[in-house]
Amino acid sequence: MKVFIDPPNSMILFDLVERFGHEPLSAMAVIQEKVDNIEVDMPPMNITLEDVIKGLKYAGVEVPSGIRGRLSVWGPMIESADAAVVIDNAPFAFGCVGCDRSNEMVKYLIKRRGIPSLTVGYPTTADEAKVMVSRIKEFLGGLKQ
Amino acid sequence: MSEERETRLLMISPDSKLTPDQLVRNVHTMGPDVAVKETCYGCLVEGSAAEMKKLIALVRARYKNEVFTKRRGFPLGDPRRCRAQHGTRPGFAQLEAEWAELPLIQSALDSIDRGDVDTRPPVERKPLPVKGMKEICEAFR
Repeated sequence: MKVFIDPPNSMILFDLVERFGHEPLSAMAVIQEKVDNIEVDMPPMNITLEDVIKGLKYAGVEVPSGIRGRLSVWGPMIESADAAVVIDNAPFAFGCVGCDRSNEMVKYLIKRRGIPSLTVGYPTTADEAKVMVSRIKEFLGGLKQ
Repeated sequence: MSEERETRLLMISPDSKLTPDQLVRNVHTMGPDVAVKETCYGCLVEGSAAEMKKLIALVRARYKNEVFTKRRGFPLGDPRRCRAQHGTRPGFAQLEAEWAELPLIQSALDSIDRGDVDTRPPVERKPLPVKGMKEICEAFR
């Protein structure tokens, strides 16, 4: 099954989803499409008119362009996903490399689609990591049935 | 999605005794039709999607929970990303943050492999109540 991961470029989630037998939907694959097929200088920083139109489907024109730009990449992935795994409060998802409003929108879009989803906390200790990985394994194992 | 090229990033967990040099040498022996580039954290591998699937299965079989992987959008040595050509690395901050967390994930996967699974819901952290704070202050006055 296709599993959307949030943060969409997370190596930990990509690896775990693939390790437990599913296909992770990541931002890297979408960016590869742009790198290979579209002549823009620095994807995903530079975008085309098509991306702007895609972004407007998920966020209004008054929403900051960074959110629309992110959603133009992540929105179609959520639409094609069969399930989702979300890491909550990952420090790198907020700040100069992340966007908290986009994260909120992603959670809303997942909820609106009604696909099975799992939200896990960002681990800071070995015990928390064990709970996180165990829950992801259990969730992904249940998807096969 | 493009099936012609797949670029992968292999990252060694900080808890592993494996070196990027050893990883690159072994990956070279695993897949004859892949290009491999050594990096500070492990290596980058590029090949066809089918070849990469076989290679990742071999890497996981050999190194189990010591090596983690994800796809990479840009090809090997792309001037927009390659350090040797002064490319920018906008994703490196996150990669570095996740690299620091890998020992926790590695130990969790090792525990699960041993059958030690723990799916308890996480304990919700609440702020310290004022009464509790007062008691601590009184105790250390």
